[in-house]
Amino acid sequence: MNKINREKFTALSFFLSPMILMVVLFYLVPLVMTVYISFTRMRNWNVEKYLTEFVGFYNYQRLFYMFQHDPTFKAVILTTVVFVGITLIINVFGGLALALATFFISEKPASSFRLLWLLPRMSPIAVYSLVWYYFFHGSEIGTLNSILMKLGVISQPIPWGQTVPWGAWSIIIFVNGLVGVSFGMIVFTSALNQIPKELIIAARVDGASAWEISRKILIPLTKWHFLYVLTWQFLSLLTTYPHIFLLVQWDLVNKDYGTTLALYVFNTAFGRGEQDQGLAAAAAVILSIIGIIGGFITLKVLQFEKMMKRPRGDF
Amino acid sequence: MVKIILKEITKKFGDFTALDNINLEIDDREFMALLGPSGSGKSTLLYTIAGIYKPTSGRIYFDDRDVTEIPPKDRNVGLVFQNWALYPHMKVFDNIAFPLELRKVPKQEIEKKVREVAKMLHIENLLDRYPWQLSGGQQQRVAIARALVKEPDVLLLDEPLSNLDALLRIEVRAELKRLQKELGITAVYVTHDQAEALAMADRIAVIREGKILQVGTPDDVYYKPKYKFVGGFLGNPPMNFVEAEVENGYLRVYESRIPVPAQYKGLIEKLDIKEVLLGFRPHDAEVVKGISEGLVGEVYSFEPLGREQIVTVSVNSGAFVKVFAPEGEHFTFGEKVTVKIREDRIVLFDKKTEKALEFLGE
Ligand SMILES: Nc1ncnc2c1ncn2[C@@H]1O[C@H](COP(=O)(O)OP(=O)(O)OP(=O)(O)O)[C@@H](O)[C@H]1O
Ligand SMILES: [Mg+2]
Repeated sequence: MNKINREKFTALSFFLSPMILMVVLFYLVPLVMTVYISFTRMRNWNVEKYLTEFVGFYNYQRLFYMFQHDPTFKAVILTTVVFVGITLIINVFGGLALALATFFISEKPASSFRLLWLLPRMSPIAVYSLVWYYFFHGSEIGTLNSILMKLGVISQPIPWGQTVPWGAWSIIIFVNGLVGVSFGMIVFTSALNQIPKELIIAARVDGASAWEISRKILIPLTKWHFLYVLTWQFLSLLTTYPHIFLLVQWDLVNKDYGTTLALYVFNTAFGRGEQDQGLAAAAAVILSIIGIIGGFITLKVLQFEKMMKRPRGDF
Repeated sequence: MVKIILKEITKKFGDFTALDNINLEIDDREFMALLGPSGSGKSTLLYTIAGIYKPTSGRIYFDDRDVTEIPPKDRNVGLVFQNWALYPHMKVFDNIAFPLELRKVPKQEIEKKVREVAKMLHIENLLDRYPWQLSGGQQQRVAIARALVKEPDVLLLDEPLSNLDALLRIEVRAELKRLQKELGITAVYVTHDQAEALAMADRIAVIREGKILQVGTPDDVYYKPKYKFVGGFLGNPPMNFVEAEVENGYLRVYESRIPVPAQYKGLIEKLDIKEVLLGFRPHDAEVVKGISEGLVGEVYSFEPLGREQIVTVSVNSGAFVKVFAPEGEHFTFGEKVTVKIREDRIVLFDKKTEKALEFLGE
């Protein structure tokens, strides 16, 4: 190594070492441990007894068997697909719609409106979940039930969350969808504000309506942000469980059709009753693989490379 | 192809008055330049004509039609921006076609019209490219094509050439002027470049701080500035100004004395004015070696410009005038010279209001 390279190396290691340490400590180590545990009979946190008991692909085989024959696990998979799919659409398109709507109104009402949508994200998870717990509660104390009964639409309270599958699904989708919308909204709003004002003025002068401006100029110019929000939300929906955990725990929603794969992993590893860390780790690995594949597909489908304009210059 | 009439237009942004009681008529097929320094309200006035801004008070007419309340899209104006504002995700063809698509013009006709206008602006071979694949000059042509394709009644241009290099600017401005006359379109052209305004416009409106100071042909505003500001803003180098005292038929400038110009004799007597600013253009004087009748001073510096040179003469400590001299003449620093001014080109301004004497009554 010559002198300059060594200096560069010193500087690089200085700036990168905290980051590398973080990655190793909080990402690499857990990842390796998870993969390892998925190949052991680890259960009930009995480290001494099971951590070294190597079982090969046994946990994966069990998962596959459950996938074929266990109605509970089948429900978990189905719930995950429906939950991630629909919530993702709500998150991304809802965020885009909110950003576009606020783009065309004047700044003051727009920012209060945006703040309103940030509330679900700002309030503590337990408090926020509790609000919807009371709202959707299956007895007559539930806000929704009492309103509908007062209006005379229904005569008996409906146990919304225990109505499977769509009642349970609707609630977890609704509660998480409301939280996620604000993320897309913020990203899209800042993206829209980056677009030169002249482009919009030019379109206005040429006779474009707000809808035409949105469709032909604003949306195409925020493609990259769209992709980002889509991928990000996909991954976070795949792995999120705090709200769902509480709603299931409080018996608001049906356990089978209110449990996603992420919550299943959590319950299996840390839940009440018998804990099966080996199985949970295998499910977590599968979940990660799905996430990686899904991420790649969104990048490919939306033709990420094509969207990146080649800058002028050859470097 | 309309006459634009602006009546007492005022535009406020909050407390700030960007346009202050603007009255202006722009004739059918006229090329009007709005000239003024940065922040004077040129763009605001242009956007008000386009309908992007609504005037706080006043009316706008296109011919007899009051368009004050009419949205931009129904005014049939073409707008070209300083940064061209091409849609980056559309190819050149689609950029130009965009206004027609919004009007739901049939596909075939769009194709025909886009090709026509592209041919007119010499960009037929660029239709398949994206804006970022074009040079600045080409992007600018695309922007003009997009404004022209919808056959607007009025073409509004906001400093469209200021992002181009000097040579290209001169080339394009000639072409733009020809195009405007060929199409017979009414054009309003915003610029802070006085040379551009002089070269292109039929008439120039000089704006400062939201007020129109003077409207006139390039000759008018160049030779008969209504305000010191106008004389100082136009021309390169701009008009010279020196303070002068009126003394029975003469103007005293420091040590020198020159007769009151014939065109001002009556006026000065009538106004009974004692102190004036004497203005003249660098081309309207010559530098003569030695001391004689005229503005006496010393050579401060000289800058050869090829065919001619600019001689800066110090007429008193701190008071300089610039005069053009032929290339052959040689000067030395500190040399005593006399500046002889063409009498009929002298403009006298009131010292207090900085307004030319002949307009003082207005
Ligand atoms: N939307 C706005 N809100 C508040 N003030 C504004 C707005 N638009 C313009 N102004 C102010 O009005 C004045 C005139 O602005 P304008 O853009 O018309 O200047 P201009 O003559 O075009 O200048 P330039 O040559 O720099 O483009 C400026 O002082 C500017 O700060
Ligand atoms: Mg401007």
